[in-house]
Amino acid sequence: MSIIWDNAMKKMSSTKKTLLIGMILLMTMFLFMACAGEEEETLDLETMTWEEILEEAEGSEVRFYGWGGDQAINDWMNGFVAEQMMEKYDITLEWVPMNIDEILNKLQGEKQAAARGTADMIWINGENFFTAKSNDLLYGPFTEMLPNFNNYVNSEDVEVKYDFGYPTEGYEAPFGKTQFVMIYDQEQTPNPPTNHEALLSYAKAHPGEITFPAPPDFTGSVFVRNIIYDIVGHEQFLDMEAEKEVVREAIAPAMEYFKELKPYLWREGETYPATLAQLENMYADGEVRMVMAYNSNLVSQRISSGMFPETSTSVIFDKGTVGNGHFIGVPFNSYNRVGALVVINEILSPEVQASKYNPDNWGDLPVLDNDKLREEDREIFERVELGEGALPQDVLLENRLPEVPAPLVPIIDQIWMENLLD
Amino acid sequence: MERSLSRILLIILSLSLILPLLMILMWSVTVSWPFPEIFPRELGLRGLRTIFQPGSRALDSLITSIRISVFVTILTLAITIPGGKALGLYEFPGKGFIKIIVLAPLIVSPVAIGMGIHGTFIRLGLTNTELGVILIHIVPVIPYGIRIFTNIFELVGDQLEEQGKVLGAGSFQTFMHITLPTIMPGIISAGSMIFIISFSQYFLTFLIGGGSVQTFPLLMVPYIQSGDRMMAASYSLVFIVVALLALLGIEKMLRLYYSKNSGIAGVFYTKNSD
Repeated sequence: MSIIWDNAMKKMSSTKKTLLIGMILLMTMFLFMACAGEEEETLDLETMTWEEILEEAEGSEVRFYGWGGDQAINDWMNGFVAEQMMEKYDITLEWVPMNIDEILNKLQGEKQAAARGTADMIWINGENFFTAKSNDLLYGPFTEMLPNFNNYVNSEDVEVKYDFGYPTEGYEAPFGKTQFVMIYDQEQTPNPPTNHEALLSYAKAHPGEITFPAPPDFTGSVFVRNIIYDIVGHEQFLDMEAEKEVVREAIAPAMEYFKELKPYLWREGETYPATLAQLENMYADGEVRMVMAYNSNLVSQRISSGMFPETSTSVIFDKGTVGNGHFIGVPFNSYNRVGALVVINEILSPEVQASKYNPDNWGDLPVLDNDKLREEDREIFERVELGEGALPQDVLLENRLPEVPAPLVPIIDQIWMENLLD
Repeated sequence: MERSLSRILLIILSLSLILPLLMILMWSVTVSWPFPEIFPRELGLRGLRTIFQPGSRALDSLITSIRISVFVTILTLAITIPGGKALGLYEFPGKGFIKIIVLAPLIVSPVAIGMGIHGTFIRLGLTNTELGVILIHIVPVIPYGIRIFTNIFELVGDQLEEQGKVLGAGSFQTFMHITLPTIMPGIISAGSMIFIISFSQYFLTFLIGGGSVQTFPLLMVPYIQSGDRMMAASYSLVFIVVALLALLGIEKMLRLYYSKNSGIAGVFYTKNSD
């Protein structure tokens, strides 16, 4: 390389040389200037009153990063929530669609470089929260600074205190709740199976027309856990140590069940749909008889968008189905923490939670404690009309089983894969 | 016999290009299309309406995308024309090595490049800026530009430029009136290629842009991943139409400009575009 450089320099006239060197110097200077001046002091939020926080946040911009694959959710964020924030607090809410893995990678990179972040809020839960918190990617604890959290949320509720068995410790605020459901077309399946045995005989009666996305797909993994719960019960998992042999022994009967089910699955269980999206499309196209969702209101959205047949209905097991919560966190390097707090607080208001519960907008279950709500707020929720095919909130909540602790999830997925994929 | 065979091949080829596009068009307005039916059962405009509604994010991001790709195209041409000329016309030690090394971005995965550059860009304050995104887009397009211009310059040589200089033209005049017109077909093909590649970048944009720079693919890919066929197809449709329009636009503009402004261009152009 140096030979080329020398030759090139020899060929150049001296004026050109000075010009070139000057340009290189100038460019280096620009780059250094760009890095300088990034320091700024952070506000001590703990000592500020809520009024001061509101005042500080006024007119600012808040960037909320989260999964962007659902048009209804995107529209709700860009529409209702953004408008509320603008009207009430003069805050510009920017909804940035990005997958959580990618967000965490970005934060990790920024942490290594000690850089200022662009995300002020992230939509997070479960293992991702576990990863983020154990790598110090989150700011907190912050939930007790929020008036609406203190007023409307039951902070002693297991689903607020724990996220996939992992203590939240105020590092993430509840956003919504979902519950696992299975969806059948009532016209095709008048009596959908409500336990694992009925499901097996249903699969035997209709070979090749039942399947699920194979773990570690998010929803497929929940389905497997739900079958495990139905066969061996859920209590033992809550404090089970994350030891592969222990787990293997506990779930052995369920693995036998899956082996028995396998030949009756779509393509005889030789292969599984790669994603839930593919399964949804297969159900919409009439290729399979059941689709599942870790979102108890998915069915009504899909019916109203015309994708699923109008006679589709949600089904849960008699022993219940797994439910979990999803949360909002604030990245450690958020530029506008005050703004993020104001937005999160507003999201915990009865108006926003009710709007989120409305199946026309999203249909996500609210996180507010019914006992803590005022009469007029409770009415807002009662006025929300449930979507077609969805189960009412109280039926779901009565048959709601807690998630296994986060560290068990990959272990169960692993054991399932070892047993069923070859 | 041979003629009809090649005709059949041509038809198969065009069908295999047109049919997928037709499918995208169909899916962009299809609500439900169960398996055995030949035509969709129900049509709707949810996808296209979401994109074209007033104040839509999609349109904003489309403008950002076009702006970025235009800058990338201009900058890359500015880099690769002299680069291609050097590789096409001049002999210097290590030329073979450099010819291979400029193709490196084609071989090394953009993920690896992106991750490496990300750290540097953070320190330079280029992450989360449009400038950073423009700079990172230049990486994957450089090989195409260099390849095309190397070949073009090998083909046209530098005799015409020498002639111009003999007749008293300065370096700038020679470049504007001789070099540019003669390599115009290369500029058009390299320019279109660069534009398209930059326009369809997803990973690098989001890594360096960090969500602050929202291009069209950044909104489109989540829908493709989540399997909302109507939204994915609607976005893809707009994507393809805009890319095609931009390409036709670039070509028309350049052709018009050079056929008006330079006699020599016309001669070379018709010769090369046959």
